[in-house]
Amino acid sequence: MKRILSILSVLWFLACAAPLHALTAEDVHMFSLKNGMKFYVLEDHAIPNVTLQIFFKVGSRNEGPGMTGLTHFLEHMMFNGARKYGPKMFDRVLESAGGASNAYTSADVTAYQDWVPNSALALIFEMEADRMENLALDERIVESERGVVLSEYTTGYENSDYDLLEDQLRAVVFYAHSYRWPVIGFESDIRNWTRADVKEYFDRHYAPNNAIAVVVGDVTLAQVKTLAEKYLERIPARMPPRPVHTREPEQRGEKRLIVHKDVSSPHVLIAYHVPQTGAADYYALDLLSTILSDGNSSRLYRALVSERQLATGVSAYMYEALDPTLFYVYAVCAEDISAKTLEGAIFGEIERVVADGVTEIELRKAQNNAVASFWRSLLTISDKADRIGTYEIFYGGYQKLFAAPEIYRKVTAEDIRTVAAKTFTKNNRTVGILQKDEVQ
Amino acid sequence: MRQQRHIHIPIPWSKRILAAAVAACAVIVGLSLPVGDILADQRETPSFQLPRYEKFKLQNGLTVYLMEQHQVPLIYVSALFPAGAVKDCDKPGLAYLTAEALLFGTWSYRKAQIEDRLEFLGARYYSYANLETAGVSVSFMSTDLDQVLPLFKEVIQNPTFDPGEFEKRKKRLLLELAQEKERPSAVLDTYFNKFLFGPHGYGNPIYGTRASVQKIGSRDAKAFYEAHYRPEDSALVIVGDFQTGPMKRRVQELFSFWKSAGKLSPSERGLLPAHDRSRILLVNKSDSTETQFAFGGLGIPRNHPDYVAVRVVNTVLGGRFTSLLNDALRVSAGLTYGASSSFNTYRDSGSFVVSSFTSTENTFKAVDLALAVLNRIHAEGVDEETLTSAKAYLIGQFPTSYETPGSLASLLASMFFYGFDETFVSEYRKRVEGVTVEKTRELIARHFPRDRLQFVLIGKALELRDRAGNYGELYEKEIKSDRF
Repeated sequence: MKRILSILSVLWFLACAAPLHALTAEDVHMFSLKNGMKFYVLEDHAIPNVTLQIFFKVGSRNEGPGMTGLTHFLEHMMFNGARKYGPKMFDRVLESAGGASNAYTSADVTAYQDWVPNSALALIFEMEADRMENLALDERIVESERGVVLSEYTTGYENSDYDLLEDQLRAVVFYAHSYRWPVIGFESDIRNWTRADVKEYFDRHYAPNNAIAVVVGDVTLAQVKTLAEKYLERIPARMPPRPVHTREPEQRGEKRLIVHKDVSSPHVLIAYHVPQTGAADYYALDLLSTILSDGNSSRLYRALVSERQLATGVSAYMYEALDPTLFYVYAVCAEDISAKTLEGAIFGEIERVVADGVTEIELRKAQNNAVASFWRSLLTISDKADRIGTYEIFYGGYQKLFAAPEIYRKVTAEDIRTVAAKTFTKNNRTVGILQKDEVQ
Repeated sequence: MRQQRHIHIPIPWSKRILAAAVAACAVIVGLSLPVGDILADQRETPSFQLPRYEKFKLQNGLTVYLMEQHQVPLIYVSALFPAGAVKDCDKPGLAYLTAEALLFGTWSYRKAQIEDRLEFLGARYYSYANLETAGVSVSFMSTDLDQVLPLFKEVIQNPTFDPGEFEKRKKRLLLELAQEKERPSAVLDTYFNKFLFGPHGYGNPIYGTRASVQKIGSRDAKAFYEAHYRPEDSALVIVGDFQTGPMKRRVQELFSFWKSAGKLSPSERGLLPAHDRSRILLVNKSDSTETQFAFGGLGIPRNHPDYVAVRVVNTVLGGRFTSLLNDALRVSAGLTYGASSSFNTYRDSGSFVVSSFTSTENTFKAVDLALAVLNRIHAEGVDEETLTSAKAYLIGQFPTSYETPGSLASLLASMFFYGFDETFVSEYRKRVEGVTVEKTRELIARHFPRDRLQFVLIGKALELRDRAGNYGELYEKEIKSDRF
């Protein structure tokens, strides 16, 4: 091992001297274990560290009524003891070896991220295998962790008016699809699921054939392969979880909701149904979100914030999603401006895009931003692993990450106008307003 | 987890607040490693050097740092000025508004033109003020250097402080100051700093108060700029995909003739308070369901010789996921999503602060537990195994702190302002490893306050008032009232 490291170190210096501008899909190596778990490896010797990121294809969209928040809770429990590494040991052993870890849960995926010096590479494979194969789910810890998640729930809403409004809005937008409940779950569900529920959920979704792993950093493909075969290949494949088959029916008319909270000025959140990430219209919609709200020269910012001073801020965006999802426009009213005034002004700008499209200069700007953003999203080994895994899961393959600048370049102004006309209809939208209860 | 000041960018629910904070700091770029050192050191845990850079002064006194990094075709440019909120005097918010106003137009470009030009290229830029420094930063594709750098020069050398744009920004800031008070986690630090540092400049709220901001005009910003944005006290840092030789000439052409118009005004920071008793500030937010709390005392300045050693001990106490505080309050007791401690270091002083949050009914249970942890580390010290683990953690994660052009630019700017050098990087491992169990006892006794603590609680005063007074002399405020 020591010899390998010394040799590597020399290569490592050389690699650093060379620009990585030429980073391409060919630099990512893929292999599969016999149990169906897929690995994506990018050797990157810039720093003597490695990141391992495992994505399980399970999110809150896989939950059902009464069990909301279970995916996120299971994510917490993955740090609370397995067979070889008992309670508290995962983090203690990892940090003692110079490593750190985190994890997140979204509506679609659960991702585990380990960042270690290359000396701890074998250790993280062993620990990840331990918790994937033999998670303990100690009854007592389930109870204390419930308290942690309740604190997370409370502090989230206490400190973010946005979260409150978005969670309420989604419940109105979707009436069939499970995107309608919040990732953290409802408080009453958090208080009531049992250890057996968590165990059953773990068994159903945490199979190796339901996961992909991305390794980026100061390693070789051969090292990763050896470790993956040694620690993870023996975990048996299981029957894949049933796919989420629910499709949200077409919306038949504008929906509206009002949420009351003692806020200093109203918030307006508008959502339109759009196709899933990576679908044909996705790239035009993404460029449109840039044109609408990215930077002070964007349409919405300039019109609503700089010129008419109706809002303190405005943002248009989509989340990455496996199923048909939402295009959001969010704005906060300036002092003494009503939600109705701001909402009307947003619609005015949106109707202008539908009627007249966007200019060639706006299109070029958005495309230039896509190229620069591509490079900004690949600054660290952690960023690279995150993007490779995310593109593999959401965009139809990690190769799409490297093709993205070119795909964006092919979008035309007419594509954007067409997709805007299709998306921004009154029947396709839901309008949410967060404001003071005037009756009180 | 991350605080976005203006517009909320949603992120997925994430498991840990502490690790997330570490990851957020870990912005990156390739560190070139001298071959000789690597072969010797690489066997166990790697150590590394700061990538090579050039530092020089222009004839007007501006200090310039150039560091090539060719991993991605991007360039990061940062200008740093000693013009933070500590210089606000009786106008809190002035340093912040002045920094913002640099982008409101120049001799040659109106505000909208600056935005159009930079954003067309996909550049990202911002100006900021924090407690001690202010700055402007821009990142862009390296092919766009000739378009961006002259514009950057204009922004820092020839701002016009357009009164119309200034008033617009002021109006938004006034509302944002009210909105900020609706998010207790966003204002806890500001309340704590004010309570701890009092009238000293380190107590100034960076974004000001509604009352103070009302009184600030574009002329104040212009005067502040003339007094505190001066080449001889400032630095220009450029990191990224360029060649040093041509860049040096370009910088000389563009930045050598900048002269400051005004006279340097002596800064009045006031005296650091000496707290002779414990005090507690209870900030009432009557609709709260949780309490945010912080307690601590004065810490150390950035240039203190124990800076790295203190960081080692703080890692044990509250600087990582398995720290004593997070283990006690979160992992063992399930009272909170996160508990931590930190040292905020400035030029002349600093703060030590323990903070967490929990449901209203668990407030004092959590505060008492956090205090017990602090007392325990004083009584029992740090054991060998935990110390070894903390050192490995700091050394192992260190390379990820300087992986990007942006984080390297920040490091160079900090080196300029605080006057430390690259031995901070090259000697880091040695300094971390030099901390012994015995030394930790000294460090704890000397640098980790446990008496005459200053507390801030933000929550439902009705349910907290009775017991809050047990922790010290009780002061109360309403969160909705202006000021901190």
